[in-house]
Amino acid sequence: MPDWRGIARRRLAPLALEAKRKEEIIDELSGHLEDLYSDLLRHGKSEAEAAQSAWSTVADWDELRDAIQLAANEEAVMDYHLGPAGERRLKTLWLPGVCTGLLAGVLLRLLQLPSAPAPNVSWLRPSTPLIIYWQWYLCLPLVGAMGAYWSRRAGGTLLERASAASFPALQLICYPGILLPFVMVFDLIFHHSAPLVVAAFFLLVWIVVPEAALLLGALPFLKGEAMKPRRAAA
Amino acid sequence: MSKEAIHIGSQVKRGSAELAILSVLAEGPLHGYQIAKIIERQTQGLLRFNLASLYPLLYRMEKRGWVKGTWEGEAAGRRRRYYHLAAAGRRRLVPLRAEWGQLFQALNRLAGVTHA
Repeated sequence: MPDWRGIARRRLAPLALEAKRKEEIIDELSGHLEDLYSDLLRHGKSEAEAAQSAWSTVADWDELRDAIQLAANEEAVMDYHLGPAGERRLKTLWLPGVCTGLLAGVLLRLLQLPSAPAPNVSWLRPSTPLIIYWQWYLCLPLVGAMGAYWSRRAGGTLLERASAASFPALQLICYPGILLPFVMVFDLIFHHSAPLVVAAFFLLVWIVVPEAALLLGALPFLKGEAMKPRRAAA
Repeated sequence: MSKEAIHIGSQVKRGSAELAILSVLAEGPLHGYQIAKIIERQTQGLLRFNLASLYPLLYRMEKRGWVKGTWEGEAAGRRRRYYHLAAAGRRRLVPLRAEWGQLFQALNRLAGVTHA
């Protein structure tokens, strides 16, 4: 039997790969030639004919080497297919949710412009203002309604519709989790006061009230069956 | 099923090879030589892979995460690299089958080409 391994090693020597990977490829390709050679012998070919046929399956070793090199150099491509459940959730939860969050954020930024009506400011303590954007609260039912309607139109479940509507408030839940512990520690060290009162007000002003306003707007769209997505209905 | 246009060119050639490999691997893990033999047998010799056409494609598909190669049989002497269909490959197979079905339907309407 020809030394297929030796042949493959000589022909693939210029491959610019790490030694282990190169050995694996040599093993695999020489194994393939060996299998083919054995198969041809079983089918009645002489050793010389079988070796010649197996050898002739690679017309151009340089071309094969280049093709392997190219494949090896190809960057790993992430597969972003979400699957049917993921695609559905993208339409029923993530898209309406993110848009609801963005809209609420843009509205809040607009209300913080100097030309916007002044917010209601009260002082919990001399160093801690409590700013309440009443106008923002008034807009939030519309934002929540949009999120819930969009989700229902895409076929969202009750939970998905409620979550899509609540996105702006849900985003803000991250803040207490990440920032508040630091704020509380600093507050305790430097002011020796009761930061829990601040935390409670933060939760009330930025999460509980906005969440209630968003769900109020979403309420009409939380009832009833999910609409069939347009494509499925067509 | 989406009705996106299929651009005929080298992509079609590669796409058909990928479809063939993913389809046989959907039945179970195989090593390279087995993949080539099974495709040749199941297509009654119409589709043939040789060493030069098969392995660069397999390595590319492995890079993309569609198939996963594992060495087996090292204890028994000669080791072989078996390819398994990965989850990403299984997901890729679905639209690939649909696209090829559409292509054959389009060719059938155009030139009376039928497929089994």
